[in-house]
Amino acid sequence: MTNYHSVGVIGGGSWGTTLAHLSGINNNKTLLWMRNGIDEINTHHRNSKYTKDYVISEQVKATNSLEEVAENCEIIIVAIPSHSFRQIAYKLGNYVKADQILLSASKGLEQKTRSRMTTILVEETCCKKIGVIAGPNLFEEILKGHPSATVVSSRFNEVIVKTVKAFASKNFRVYGNNDVLGSELGGAMKNIVAIAAGMIDGLDFGNNSKSLLVTRGISEMCRIGDRLGTNNSTFTGLTGVGDTMVTCACNLSRNYRVGYHLAKGKSLNYICENIVSVAEGINTCKVIHEFALEVGVELPIIRGVYEIVHENKDIMEVITSLMQRKSLWE
Amino acid sequence: MKPEHKEDVCHDVVERVFEAQMQRVQRGEVLLETIINDTIYHEKKRLHADPDKKALKYWKSVNKRFLLADRKEQESILKELIKIFIDEIVGHFDEKVYRFSTNILPVGLGILLNTISPRVLLSKFPRLPDLRDSLLIHGEIELLRELEKKGTVILLPTHSSNMDSIIIGFALYKIGLQPFTYGAGINLFTNWIVSYFMNNLGAYKVDRKKKAALYKDILKEYATVTIEYGYNNLFFPGGTRSRSGAIEDRLKLGLLGSGLKAYINNLKNNKEQPKIFIIPCTISYELVLEAEGLSKDFLRQTGGSKFIIQDDEFSRLGRMINFVSSTLSLDSRIYVNICPAMDFFGNRVDKDGVSYDKRGRKVDIERYVFVDGQVDHLKQRDEEYVRQLGTEIVQLYKQYNMALSTNILASVIYKILLRDNPQMDFYRLLFTGGEKEYYTVDEVLEPLKVFMVELRKLEEKNEIFIDERLKDADAEVILNHALKRFRVYHNKPSIIKKNEKIYINNCNLIYYYNTRLMDYGIEIQEKNDD
Repeated sequence: MTNYHSVGVIGGGSWGTTLAHLSGINNNKTLLWMRNGIDEINTHHRNSKYTKDYVISEQVKATNSLEEVAENCEIIIVAIPSHSFRQIAYKLGNYVKADQILLSASKGLEQKTRSRMTTILVEETCCKKIGVIAGPNLFEEILKGHPSATVVSSRFNEVIVKTVKAFASKNFRVYGNNDVLGSELGGAMKNIVAIAAGMIDGLDFGNNSKSLLVTRGISEMCRIGDRLGTNNSTFTGLTGVGDTMVTCACNLSRNYRVGYHLAKGKSLNYICENIVSVAEGINTCKVIHEFALEVGVELPIIRGVYEIVHENKDIMEVITSLMQRKSLWE
Repeated sequence: MKPEHKEDVCHDVVERVFEAQMQRVQRGEVLLETIINDTIYHEKKRLHADPDKKALKYWKSVNKRFLLADRKEQESILKELIKIFIDEIVGHFDEKVYRFSTNILPVGLGILLNTISPRVLLSKFPRLPDLRDSLLIHGEIELLRELEKKGTVILLPTHSSNMDSIIIGFALYKIGLQPFTYGAGINLFTNWIVSYFMNNLGAYKVDRKKKAALYKDILKEYATVTIEYGYNNLFFPGGTRSRSGAIEDRLKLGLLGSGLKAYINNLKNNKEQPKIFIIPCTISYELVLEAEGLSKDFLRQTGGSKFIIQDDEFSRLGRMINFVSSTLSLDSRIYVNICPAMDFFGNRVDKDGVSYDKRGRKVDIERYVFVDGQVDHLKQRDEEYVRQLGTEIVQLYKQYNMALSTNILASVIYKILLRDNPQMDFYRLLFTGGEKEYYTVDEVLEPLKVFMVELRKLEEKNEIFIDERLKDADAEVILNHALKRFRVYHNKPSIIKKNEKIYINNCNLIYYYNTRLMDYGIEIQEKNDD
């Protein structure tokens, strides 16, 4: 027999806290693992560092014990930045058991190994029922109770059914699909497009340019997805078009802000040190660009972002070269 | 199947299959009439194509009864059909035949060969060729031996020849284990010698021409029940012999699903030793008995016309003797490389039957099959576990593949041909063997050296095995080793060396032997135009 009676979230950043809240308002006892800010959540139901003054569900209990989360939760969502994801997954792996469900809520790829977050969960734990939760989810709008939706992808239907039950509410729809790779790639690659969208706004180019960027960016997602065996319709869903649209339109997105400030002449170092702490798109664009070169897939926008971000190329020069590419059939 | 279990196993299969079919009917998934109709239709169709008067008469009579049958009679017909099929499938194990065959088979083949090879008999120090010398078993032998005591083992070999089941049978004997139960294609029973041994050594019959869904369900259930009875099973997850010669990268998972079902049933029934261990293994031949037939079939398949070979080298006794003779007299080797054991969830298992995750932590695997805290079947979940297991098996096959001289030389030659004939399409290249009439020995040795450097690097990283005789051998030794083997057995040797020139003689076979090393990304030096 198992003794699970809670939902667990690992990582008390803005998205992790929001997920814990969504579970909490669904009357699930929810454990939120975090290093700092535990008392504030448990006493005042707030996480002011990451989710401003929004009230977090009283069903959410913060803890700094991974063991406690693993002991009590059938569903555990890991919402940790990609650079420390493996380390935390390994520690979690010391406690979880074979019947538990692990979901990644992180949208990135591991730089050293190019691994997806779900692959890391498989490698670092004994769990097999793995999935990803991704979609156009700006935490602030969700905490305000505005209508939103997300996608849970897993090869196991059981994972989808249980996650929908835990998170779907009157203002939050949860869809399911089996294309884990597609959802993870969409979630990771939209961050690169978002950097480019920030540049477009930083240069005051307007909506035509952004529309061009988004549609051709989705096309690049499909191309690399095709090479890797994803279902292309995933990229036209919430984790592809949906997530890309929201990130490219929202000036609160961290990746967007990286692009915006680069276009305004700030250096990447300055941006990372003073404006955004973590922007997954910076690392993801390096990983995807290198992979595309290896497998011979043409991704001009992603290559352009890579050249600007990692090779310090002039933005206008890159845009000019993109626009001067030979005209092709769409 | 031991005689004392036969009746119970058949009874269980009949009851379970009948029950499962009736549940489908009750759930409204299918009509009872449809199940029976489908079975009669497929059987009559098969028998029209491959006439058997007695059987046809039977199926016609069933059809007649079915047309007049009320519900109760339909149920009784369904049960009868299941019984008919299971009686045909069920294997037999005869201890006496087993003892006899394991004693005579290795040397027996040698004696048989001496009747055709008087030179060996008349030589000064005649030494009878013996399968025991040619068959080398590597890998996790001790683990296999130990796990067989701790639960039920499912052995999953690669499949390139109908000799595989004989080789595995003999390998198990050498290791000290009794034969494993396995489903042999009914076409194998056309060779009377092999048929005798198969009939009495636990093989059950699988007729691939029987297309009725009911028949397939019975086969799967038979496998499930035998595993639950503790019979170690042997599946060839590639389904049929690899047509291209390549190591399997896509598996048929139906029988593995039966294994997982048996494991869950074992847990639910509180069996004393419920665990089932998955042990893949690779079988590598320097020469493959049916290489010519299979490679032709592969080319026909990729060209569009698909069929099942009913009459190939294996069904011709003369070819088989010729093959065994060539293999044994050449100091030729057949390697069986046993991979690490896994549970159904892809975790490695130690000799005590304990599972470990990828970071070496113990796993309580019973929990994988919990439904709300209780052990139970869950169709989609279990299918996904088996799919993931299939991926792990494919990786192990690749890792435990044995690179032999024939594979190495064929790979190098094929790459040279590709390099030198970039304009030719695949079929034309195989048909013509390229534009050059021959290559000098040096033209082959140089790329062979480069190839070996790459191959040895892979071996150091534990990504492949290399025949121990070739590990430190220089390129010339490897070349001659392979040429010596290519010279014998095949009607048309694939590569011939004459006057220091290498002639491409049978490009189909070169492609066939090359595929074994195709997916490792090993390259030869680029051609220097200068």
